[in-house]
Amino acid sequence: MTRLRFPEISLWRVIVGLIFAAGAWATYLRFAKGFQVATNLSNAQPWGIWVGVATLCGVGLSAGGFAIAGAVYLLGMERYRPVLRAAVVIAFLGYVSVILGYAWELGLPWNFWHPIVMWNRASVLFEVVWCIMLYTTVLALEFSPALVEKLPWKPVREFYLHWHHRILIALVLVGVLLSSLHQSYLGGLFIIFKGKMYPLWYSNYQTTMFYMSAIPAGMAMIIMALYLSVRSLNVRIDMRILEDFSRIIAPMLAIFTLFRFADLAKQHALGYLFLPVVETAYFWLEIALFVAAPLVLFNLPQVRRKPIGLYWASAVTIAGFIMHRMDVSITSLERATHAGYVPKWPEMAVTMMLVTAAVLAFRLAVLHLKILPRTLEVSTPPFQLPRTTGYVFPAHPSAAVN
Amino acid sequence: MKSKAMLIDITKCIGCRACEQACKEVHHFPAEHEPVLSATALTVVEERGDKFVRRLCMHCQDPACASVCPVGALRKTAAGPVVYDGKKCIGCRYCMLGCPYSVPRYEWSKLAPYVKKCDMCAERVLAGKPTACAEVCPVGATIFGDRDELLAEAQKRIRENPAYVNRIYGAEEVGGASVFFLSDVPFEKLGFINAPQTQPLPVLSATALGEMPTVVMVGGSLLAGLYWFTQRRQQVMATEAAEKAEKEAKNVLRFRDKERS
Repeated sequence: MTRLRFPEISLWRVIVGLIFAAGAWATYLRFAKGFQVATNLSNAQPWGIWVGVATLCGVGLSAGGFAIAGAVYLLGMERYRPVLRAAVVIAFLGYVSVILGYAWELGLPWNFWHPIVMWNRASVLFEVVWCIMLYTTVLALEFSPALVEKLPWKPVREFYLHWHHRILIALVLVGVLLSSLHQSYLGGLFIIFKGKMYPLWYSNYQTTMFYMSAIPAGMAMIIMALYLSVRSLNVRIDMRILEDFSRIIAPMLAIFTLFRFADLAKQHALGYLFLPVVETAYFWLEIALFVAAPLVLFNLPQVRRKPIGLYWASAVTIAGFIMHRMDVSITSLERATHAGYVPKWPEMAVTMMLVTAAVLAFRLAVLHLKILPRTLEVSTPPFQLPRTTGYVFPAHPSAAVN
Repeated sequence: MKSKAMLIDITKCIGCRACEQACKEVHHFPAEHEPVLSATALTVVEERGDKFVRRLCMHCQDPACASVCPVGALRKTAAGPVVYDGKKCIGCRYCMLGCPYSVPRYEWSKLAPYVKKCDMCAERVLAGKPTACAEVCPVGATIFGDRDELLAEAQKRIRENPAYVNRIYGAEEVGGASVFFLSDVPFEKLGFINAPQTQPLPVLSATALGEMPTVVMVGGSLLAGLYWFTQRRQQVMATEAAEKAEKEAKNVLRFRDKERS
């Protein structure tokens, strides 16, 4: 039996408490006073950061789940199996917070189930909603053994795990397909805004682009989560896995950007790249954060060799990713709508509360379920263990040949 | 019933705002004048220089709003009006962004907000009556009738009077609409958008969605193939390792036998 104690008061706990308090007040405003009081949404800008960040980035940053599940199960990359469950949990929590976020975002949230029975196959959003529902179910099933293992009844456990094992490959395959579909169709939502969107962000291939940008962002997310788990939750993993993940981020972002510029050229929109308007600044800042900085950082040995370097490089990548998706969903429309949208504080508070809740849920999962290998603090070791976070990788095995 | 439409002749409008008031009356909205479209002003008369320009839903032939709605709350009726069913709506507001004319409004101040836009008096139209705005217009600037007849009428006016701009706004924009405008000033100067294409906008989403079966088929086969390949490789590697181990064991035995003999 563990003794119940009053939780220690630390800086982080105070911050978390404040975020939840602000989130609760914002929630009250949203549901008791309505959009007009709680948000800066308007007829000109009906989608704000609840769509631009909570949905578009929440789904995008969860892309690591399908990428790593596919790599381990379908491509046989066994060396990533130690972090597989973590990736699946991160994705699952990402999707759950996206879905929960709709309670605030939708005008009539109690009608959330309508797309299940009222179909409009012509709507990209309809397809996205269905894919997200199905894929969240797939993620829950992929993750379920971590919970079932904890059941005290052996026959139930064995029966479940036996059948789970038999359908797992099919499940992973369906998961990869569903992810590929809705990660791209999330971008497909913007194809019909032709004529309303600023040319630097409009593309007929927004589907392909959203897919190409989600995977590196999802990998950066996994790197950040794993680094923090190692640093604060006694998780012990081979840090070279993080370096492996980081290796695909920069090349994918480079391909994404080449594709983007090629598409701008095809649409004869290259002239907009240097126009003296505010959109140009947003565009280049986005390129700097989302492409240039990761390309430089992930290729600097001083950064790549240290987990903390990977962590901060990933943080920059994610910042760039969020900026890119906000540009697509908000900035690009400003010129046509003159909305002058800036999110009101309750919009930000709710978004931060959802992110914080997901982080806390991940922490609980790592602490109480078999998600990642951990050293247990049974006793104080007689000698000082090297701090994992300050650890420098030995040379990569590929460099050690001959 | 033949598809109905409205023809709005900007050269005739005197800016009396009777249409605004009639609309508010039919929809039971408070009577005070509002300068721009809102959830309680489904049509407004905007002043552009010395011209008066009505703003209202264009009732597209293939409406983007109906196409983007995930639950099909908006739909184009055979009689012409694009109508909204609040009972289906989930409040995602995709229609507001999807509309190329940015017409749909939202009840931002309400706790159960719905989308509001001109419904071309769908109930009146079904009952064989004209729209309230057309009925009340004292100078015939807005007229109501069969879509093809109104198009012919618009063409006739342009033909007979060279003062008109040679363009029927709403005839070709994004696949055509059921509200047409005639003007003697270029439409761009009156705040009308230049439609991005003459094809209906839903074609764009349909093209993207049309790729789905290919993605599923090709992606699915590719992934299954990759899985089979990696499995097979692992099997082969395991068998080869076992064979090698067996051979080595045999060699060891042979060597031992040799030593003994």
